[in-house]
Amino acid sequence: MQPNRMLPNRSRTSVLVFLLPPLLLYAAAVLFPILQSLFLSFFSWNGISDMEFVGLDNYVRMFVADDIFWRAFMNALIYLAICLVLQLGGALVVASLLTSLRRGRELIKTLYLLPAVISTVAIAFLFIRIYSLEPVGLLNQLFQWVGLDHLERPWLSDVNTVLAAVSAPEGWRFTGLYMLIIYAALLAVPKELEEAAVLDGASRWTLFTKIRFPYIRPVWITTTIMATTYGLRGFDIPYLMTNGGPGQSSELLTTYMYKAAFTSTDFGYASTISVFIVVECLVAVGLILFVLKRKADS
Amino acid sequence: MITQTAPPTPPAAVLPSRPPVKRRRRRPDLFRTLSRVLIMLIVIVQVYPLAWLFLTSLRTEQDFATGDPFALPSSLTWENYARAFDTGDLGRNILNSFIVTMGANILIVLLGMMAAYAIQVLGFRLSKLVRGLFLIGIIVPVQIALVPLFIDYSAVNLLDTYLSMIIPLAGFSLPMSIYLFCSFYEYIPKETYEAASLDGAGPYRIFGLITMPLSLNTVVTVVLVNSIFIWNDFIFANTFVLSEDLKTIPLGLQNYIGAMGKVDWTATFAAVCVTITPLLLVFLVLNKAMIQGLENGATKG
Amino acid sequence: MKKMLRAAAAAAVTALALTACGGTSSTDPSNVSPTGEIKAREISWLLSRPADGAVINIMKKLAADYAKEHPGFELNLITTPDRPSYIQKLETLAAANKLPELFDTDATPFAQQLAKQGKMMDAEQLLESLGIYGNYRPGALDYQRFDDGSLYMIPFQFELEFIWYNKALLEKAGVAVPTSLDDIPAMCTTLRSAGITPIAIDGQDQWPLERYIAYQPFREAGPEFVQKLKKGEAKFSDPAGQKTVNWMAELGKAKCFQDGFSAQGYSDAQNQFTSGQAAMYNIGTWELPSLATDKLDPSVRNDIDFFTLPTTAGSVTGANEFVSPSGIGMAVNAKTYDPLVSDFLKFALAKYPAEYAATGALSPTTDVETVVPGNATPLYQKALDQANSLGSKQAMPWDTQLDPTTNGRLQQELVLLVQGNISPEQFTETMDKTIAQNAPKFFK
Repeated sequence: MQPNRMLPNRSRTSVLVFLLPPLLLYAAAVLFPILQSLFLSFFSWNGISDMEFVGLDNYVRMFVADDIFWRAFMNALIYLAICLVLQLGGALVVASLLTSLRRGRELIKTLYLLPAVISTVAIAFLFIRIYSLEPVGLLNQLFQWVGLDHLERPWLSDVNTVLAAVSAPEGWRFTGLYMLIIYAALLAVPKELEEAAVLDGASRWTLFTKIRFPYIRPVWITTTIMATTYGLRGFDIPYLMTNGGPGQSSELLTTYMYKAAFTSTDFGYASTISVFIVVECLVAVGLILFVLKRKADS
Repeated sequence: MITQTAPPTPPAAVLPSRPPVKRRRRRPDLFRTLSRVLIMLIVIVQVYPLAWLFLTSLRTEQDFATGDPFALPSSLTWENYARAFDTGDLGRNILNSFIVTMGANILIVLLGMMAAYAIQVLGFRLSKLVRGLFLIGIIVPVQIALVPLFIDYSAVNLLDTYLSMIIPLAGFSLPMSIYLFCSFYEYIPKETYEAASLDGAGPYRIFGLITMPLSLNTVVTVVLVNSIFIWNDFIFANTFVLSEDLKTIPLGLQNYIGAMGKVDWTATFAAVCVTITPLLLVFLVLNKAMIQGLENGATKG
Repeated sequence: MKKMLRAAAAAAVTALALTACGGTSSTDPSNVSPTGEIKAREISWLLSRPADGAVINIMKKLAADYAKEHPGFELNLITTPDRPSYIQKLETLAAANKLPELFDTDATPFAQQLAKQGKMMDAEQLLESLGIYGNYRPGALDYQRFDDGSLYMIPFQFELEFIWYNKALLEKAGVAVPTSLDDIPAMCTTLRSAGITPIAIDGQDQWPLERYIAYQPFREAGPEFVQKLKKGEAKFSDPAGQKTVNWMAELGKAKCFQDGFSAQGYSDAQNQFTSGQAAMYNIGTWELPSLATDKLDPSVRNDIDFFTLPTTAGSVTGANEFVSPSGIGMAVNAKTYDPLVSDFLKFALAKYPAEYAATGALSPTTDVETVVPGNATPLYQKALDQANSLGSKQAMPWDTQLDPTTNGRLQQELVLLVQGNISPEQFTETMDKTIAQNAPKFFK
């Protein structure tokens, strides 16, 4: 009945004593505001005049009449995909490379985490310079040097490249964190398994796909969930670099919600988008668990 | 009194030199050189921005405005730092950020341990549900809490206080902390507790004398990971803080914005360099403990 | 669990209801001379001005002087220089009914709603009662007025916006100063073919590009166009609207602005102009200290000049009428207005203009003379002199006029239009639809 219980004798009170304080803080800071958002989403309210009950109007408007909403939703998915590839893919590659390294691992791990401590304001400004075309920024300069002049462009003003350009810094920032986690998991793969496989003549690739990856799958799931939820939360860097522009090319659901609340003072509609984001995140995590767990079972 | 069983040693993670097991080396050099080069390249990409930030903070305004932003500065100056300290109140900003970061961290660690202890060690009927409830906090974006919290705070007069920043920062970080502590507690052998119980220790004693001391590495991890986010938090501070005396670092950086959005960038970068230094120092000193804790949390999750 | 949820929901409702309805003010916004004793206390001013700028420094000093006569008085200046952050703060404070004694705002639709609810003091009556209404430049006050002519904000600045240009670069490309707005696209083409960036613009902050769309309608139909447009009474599909939409598209086609302008910030744009890379730069007199003193790069110092907004053939507004804003204004909270606030404002507003003019800036009043700084170039005085010959109309920046949702959309679509990502027809259709959707909510 109680699989988790480790202590043979403990009173009901002791559970409450330990559980209530964290639950209270959590309820006050997270759960209660979510409920308030849900409540607000049925109203039209600009903050200063009286609230007006509008039923499902906000939801109808969001799903049917708002082209920016759907654009922002698609952008958020693409943004998420790019962040995931950079963070998880990058982390996996670097972690694998690190395991083959003999010296300097500690130093590299530390250096790799550095971008995470820089404030987003500085990061945004740095990348604006890197992407700039007039005056020529670092990226376009690099293309010039290697003779790929035709690739030069104002990365943040081009509607086709801007989304990727704002996703990259976010992906880059936290790669180190995920790399550490995956690296630790890779080290924990039993050496006997690998050795046996090597004796059987397995290539590096088979070694990875057949031995290492299945072994780190649980960690991989955790990391994927972490990266996904942080990706869906993304806000600072697109907001600071392009403010969603040009047009709506880099508008995400979070920046759009923020604007609806604090630019348009449409608190009811902003809350409706909030509710959607919460549901979206829950669905995303559910999907990840479903897909990755089922693969593990098969 | 309490018989102390050996603390769970982290798995292979911290063995510095592995016995060279792989003897199969037909084209090893190519592969290893390649991975070295790749690693070096990636390290450059990761470290470069910090170096750039620091160099820019030493440039003269003129040089920054007209020169190639990526070349080495033509001359170095400390004038930006003088201006940074002159215009802003960096000392106070750092102090405020410190108070908020510490306050939030204490809550996160203490409450995180308590919740994890209740869920993982004590156990109760609805523990799965409570765990799920906490999971929501990992998932939802913090922005959704802004409007409701602002309304609530003004109703109970919490606006413009340290607490108004600490509560949501701690609340939204709590789930990840609980998660990390839970996965760590899962691996404290049952026998440890049973032995203590036989000695007559109750749940409070066991928490204080066994669970807490054993969690040290995880505590360091939780504190460091959260500090990175909290130290640089802009959104809550910007929404809930009004008075100059309570401004944290990210708000203090706004003092370098002039008329119509004209920013004194070299002074801003000098200020950024000053304000990330404390975090960087702590980070470098405790780095090893943090990496270990993360690795523990991860491999056991 | 269910019970807890229900309780939480009920509590949420109560909390919201409490804050939403508690907003009726007891003070009459037109009762500008309250009677009673002056009780010294701390008052706050929520403002959005540079932390180390002239306005804040002067008001700090004046508050200290006032505190000498009234021990216990203190002026707490809370500044948020970043405008979007400031607006967010103002809106949340208004929603929580926690506005301080004094707060900054433009004459936006949001501010008008605050005024309608009686939350701000009538500034016209206030200034009259202090006996200083007549000192203010009419243009400075007009900038702060709502469409119905009512005045609720007090100006602290007065600025003129010019198009600054580099004589040497224009000469090099063989182009003359434009005499009509319609000359500008062709001028840009010529400059571009000479390898010169025609106009440096701060695209990141969005208001600079939004200035341009205001110019043609101001010349074609006068300041009334935007007042009608924002309510949906005029449309972008009208002749004046179409003229500006097509003109903006032409500016884009002629590559008037630097490549990738939409992501470039204020300092970057200014640096391009002051380092001689761009030929023109549209900015106001608040930049006189960087453009008309010896702080300006010596290599361009003698080449810099300015011209005012060109007219067009058949223009209904004159060459001496252009954008002349008096900055973000200060509103006085009606709920907390008392003898102390009134007395302090009387003290501070009387002394402010002389102090402000001494810093080399244009005062919003006419009773003082601006002191030209010692390191100024001749251009400084020339710029100040323009203030003496202004006409009676002024071009309003559209970002203070439109409702915030329409404004946000306009800023986004404008970049697309200038970059050539959408056609003038698409732009017109989207914007007219957006206004039709959002204007009724704000201008009921």
